[in-house]
Amino acid sequence: MSKVLESGVPAGTEQGQVGRAVKRLESQAKVTGRAEYIHNLEVPGMLHAKVVRSTIAHARIRGIDTQEAKELPGVYDVITGEDILKVIPDPYYGPAFHDQPILALDKVRHVGEPVAVVLATDVHVADRATDLVEIDYEELEPLFHEVESAKSETTFVHDVIRPAGTFADLKTLQPRAKTNVSMEYHLRNGDLDAAFAKADRVFEHTFRSQQVSHLPLEPIVTLAQLTDTGNLLIHTASQSPSFVRIEVARLLGWPENKVRVRTAYLGGGFGAKLYIKLEALVAALALITQRPVRLSLTMEEQFYTITRHAATVTIRTGVTNDGRIVARDCKTWWNGGAYADIGPRVTQKSGFTAAGPYDIEAVSLDSYAVYTNLPPAGALRGFGIPQLVWAYESQADIIARELGIDPLEFRRKNILRNGRPHATGTVMEDVGTVEVLEELARKMRWDEPFDHGSGPIRRGRGLAIGIKAAVSPTTSVAFVNLYSDGSCGVYCGTVDMGQGSDTAMAQIAADVLGLEAESVRVIHPDTEVTPYDMATLGSRSTFHMGNAVRLAAEDAKRQMVALCAEQTGFAPEALAVQDGGVAAPDGSFFTYGDILARRFGMQAGNVLGVGSYFPYYKKPDATTGMSDHITPYWMVGGSGVEVEVDTETGKVRIVRLVTVGDCGKAINPGIVKRQLSGASFMQMGFTLFEEMVFDEGQVVNASMADYKIPGFWDLPEQNEVSIVEVPHRNGPFGAKGIGETGSLGLSPAVANAVYDAVGVRIYETPLTPERVLRALREQQGRVWGDA
Amino acid sequence: MNPFQLLQPETLEEALSLLNTDDPSVRPVAGGTALMLMMKSKVFTPHTLVSLQRLKPSLSGIRLDDAGDLHLGPLASLRDVERSPVVAEFTPVITQAMQTLSNVRVRNVATVGGHLAHGDPHMDLPPILMALDARVRISGQAGEREVALPEFLTGYYTTVLNPSELITDVVVPALPNGLSGTYLKYTALSADDWPMCGVAAFVRMQGGVVAEARVAVSAATERPVRLTGVESFLRGRRPAAEAFEEAAELAAAGVHPLADIRGSSGYKREIVKVCVRRALEQALAARTRNGGVAHE
Ligand SMILES: Cc1cc2nc3c(=O)[nH]c(=O)nc-3n(C[C@H](O)[C@H](O)[C@H](O)COP(=O)(O)OP(=O)(O)OC[C@H]3O[C@@H](n4cnc5c(N)ncnc54)[C@H](O)[C@@H]3O)c2cc1C
Repeated sequence: MSKVLESGVPAGTEQGQVGRAVKRLESQAKVTGRAEYIHNLEVPGMLHAKVVRSTIAHARIRGIDTQEAKELPGVYDVITGEDILKVIPDPYYGPAFHDQPILALDKVRHVGEPVAVVLATDVHVADRATDLVEIDYEELEPLFHEVESAKSETTFVHDVIRPAGTFADLKTLQPRAKTNVSMEYHLRNGDLDAAFAKADRVFEHTFRSQQVSHLPLEPIVTLAQLTDTGNLLIHTASQSPSFVRIEVARLLGWPENKVRVRTAYLGGGFGAKLYIKLEALVAALALITQRPVRLSLTMEEQFYTITRHAATVTIRTGVTNDGRIVARDCKTWWNGGAYADIGPRVTQKSGFTAAGPYDIEAVSLDSYAVYTNLPPAGALRGFGIPQLVWAYESQADIIARELGIDPLEFRRKNILRNGRPHATGTVMEDVGTVEVLEELARKMRWDEPFDHGSGPIRRGRGLAIGIKAAVSPTTSVAFVNLYSDGSCGVYCGTVDMGQGSDTAMAQIAADVLGLEAESVRVIHPDTEVTPYDMATLGSRSTFHMGNAVRLAAEDAKRQMVALCAEQTGFAPEALAVQDGGVAAPDGSFFTYGDILARRFGMQAGNVLGVGSYFPYYKKPDATTGMSDHITPYWMVGGSGVEVEVDTETGKVRIVRLVTVGDCGKAINPGIVKRQLSGASFMQMGFTLFEEMVFDEGQVVNASMADYKIPGFWDLPEQNEVSIVEVPHRNGPFGAKGIGETGSLGLSPAVANAVYDAVGVRIYETPLTPERVLRALREQQGRVWGDA
Repeated sequence: MNPFQLLQPETLEEALSLLNTDDPSVRPVAGGTALMLMMKSKVFTPHTLVSLQRLKPSLSGIRLDDAGDLHLGPLASLRDVERSPVVAEFTPVITQAMQTLSNVRVRNVATVGGHLAHGDPHMDLPPILMALDARVRISGQAGEREVALPEFLTGYYTTVLNPSELITDVVVPALPNGLSGTYLKYTALSADDWPMCGVAAFVRMQGGVVAEARVAVSAATERPVRLTGVESFLRGRRPAAEAFEEAAELAAAGVHPLADIRGSSGYKREIVKVCVRRALEQALAARTRNGGVAHE
């Protein structure tokens, strides 16, 4: 069933709309600067908000003096946590825990935490006034490292930890106190001791990943205003408008129908704009001032708002001499920063995949979400999986080489196949583990000799494969509306943040309804118009929303066919949908517009199809962490690289990059390819040089001048992408998600290639030239001293 | 960013008179790329900026004078420098250095004057200009003076400029025949990052030995510096691998790098060594290629 799409194969070889490389519907609007972004929105009478942020990592607030700021000409008002309490008595929010105050109340828990807000009609006046707010702190001991913080028995970031209970998968969380571990997940499968006893060799290593930033080019931005009836209208660059509405309504004690949340195109998201970010604050400010209020973060503020978890992973693996992994014990500490955000989900959902895509007799996994006094960490493309793959795929190479087995062969021996149970107990179905690995081997020409070079520049190659489970259980609902002339609108809450979802959803609806994808209009998320969707995250939209759109289109199609059957007297089964209408066996053809006109006597009416998708899920057992339905589908990604290592500087250059991903079915091959390579490039930055550097909790490189992301010159000369299609029985047309797949394996592939080139093993990302050169020099016993 | 007042004088005289004040928060602004970074992070919060943009017609020329000296107007954008046939003819090292400087959006607005006046050791032009013995012409209401680049750049983000003075010209003396060179830029993070180490090296050969060597190092150091010790070491030597190796050791021993997010002091010293050696090799090889820039 599986197949591989060669890159460069001409698109559009298939009939229908699915599988066609449709150009992005919004391309022209984007390149001509017409695309709508919330960032560009201004409304009359609007106030600008600027945030006064904590300069201390951990402290009690003794007092806040706003007098001088309030007196600055042009300042409308200065708002503190006390003012928020008047409109929201319990102002703590968050998707997993209600732990984050809208503005700091008693304590600050990280540098950059919002403490007060200045409002003014001139944004620069507001900014100036933020310098005039005086905050009196009583400093507390800060905790920065996840492992130390998890052990601390005297210093606590939160006195009490309150679970939110909003999402079904996190409902079992219990309140805790006197710990910085907000949540832990454990998996016990098989007799670990017995399995380790069978092993000929046991390997134990610790790997670390650094904290990094999402850095969407459109900063996080929200504008809130009151409507004529006193309801709230929130315009926000959000990946999860439905959740924002639920959370803001909950905070206010309002019904959902009094809060309207809308969004537009997002200038990147990557997980930074998920759940709830500025919305509660800006909504509160609009209520307090009774005026529209806009808050747009600067690039610097983004670093203090949401980040990717730093993580420490200790992995112990037992293997037989012939290369079978028999036992694995893996402990992960996630540095969640000061507020949990969605960290607990990362801890669980990523946690249970920590043993990798391998068939292992006994597995024990422990995963800890840890509070520290750093900026909060949440979801970032891959949801924690790249940090785990970094550990298990680096170790896979170490073990293979120690055993004298080719790294590819070692993976082949242990790969988890369809029909076999994953460590969670869920039996693998329609998963492309083998297919991805084999395609990667083929693309890398792994069986051919490889020139390692001589002189100062050495060459090496490496590969890695990772697996990710889709987050579950989640719901998507879609409407497909056929208007009176028969043209089509798709109403769905999936946010197009550059990943091309509008185009994919249009293709799915068009395919079902016999339309051209280009003629379908996709209506952007607006909770007053579009139905519920859990969020645009975790590569879930093509599968979940794709299914909802498909079901809605089929519903609309059924209704149209029924109407036509009624009008023509043919049985519905005898009618065929094609070319935007219905064809009857007698050769007659009726456009959807014709059918509606006959129904209503004029151009009028609608046919509204509704689709709702909610896959089956069984939550993990409280003691074993196991479940026979842990996820609706798995994503498998493989990365291979050829690198050049400059042995005099330590610089690593990726000269050839191969990214392979299983997408089930490429709804749009062009977009799938770019998602795969885009994720790979993003991960390349995290692998080679991106790192948030802290000094006492302050980010010393919080700007794009100093926090560098890959640019065009950093891209490998050869960049190859292979799409593997192992169709999923429940996916729309067989499709699975693909947005994160390219990021899974890259980091260990690079480290493995560096080892192959120069024989040094790096255990911590990023692989900066200095880190690589230091490792080389340590091996040679000639490390430099301070200059 | 805090609010500020923007003044836009039409003439140099007007600009100089606006700058002639005791108020330390009055500053000239050219491209604004460096100033805006500081103003956004509130490292610098001026009350008044005096824009030099309207002086562009008279102060952005790029030309050779009768003596063959190259003049770079302070309001020439780095992109103007990059695209100037006069500069390319004078030395391709400058042209090529511009091509790898940040990105085209920055180069379109950043100016030669701002580039030098900022005193940032991580700039790409200063080591090249320093190796080429460039001078900076400075004007104030009290008059004019010309300062050689090593004296102009006094330290980390500091120059000899008084707050009321402007750079009005940059002069690069005509190059001696047979001088070939390179600029080697080493970035530790992304390829378009600021250099962690920049080395400009020029050599002139005569009778199989080095008649003249010029080496300047920047970015790893507190300010760009000419390595005169290395230069005199090389003079009269055959350009063999050992000589360059030794020169590189000498260079590394003579610099005192500051640690920052791009590298520790010890690592930077190692990189200075590698870059000086490679730059010398490339400068020599450039004799046949007519100059060049390498991006490590
Ligand atoms: C993201 C980014 C990356 C960069 N990367 C690099 C890089 O890799 N390599 C590199 O070399 N450069 C780099 N640049 C820096 C760029 O070269 C400088 O910002 C630029 O040269 C400064 O020029 P400006 O005209 O914008 O100066 P401005 O910001 O206008 O001014 C800088 C300073 O010079 C003063 N000034 C300006 N003109 C004059 C004058 N005529 N006389 C006296 N004082 C004056 C100003 O008062 C101010 O103090 C980068 C810049 C940015 C923003």
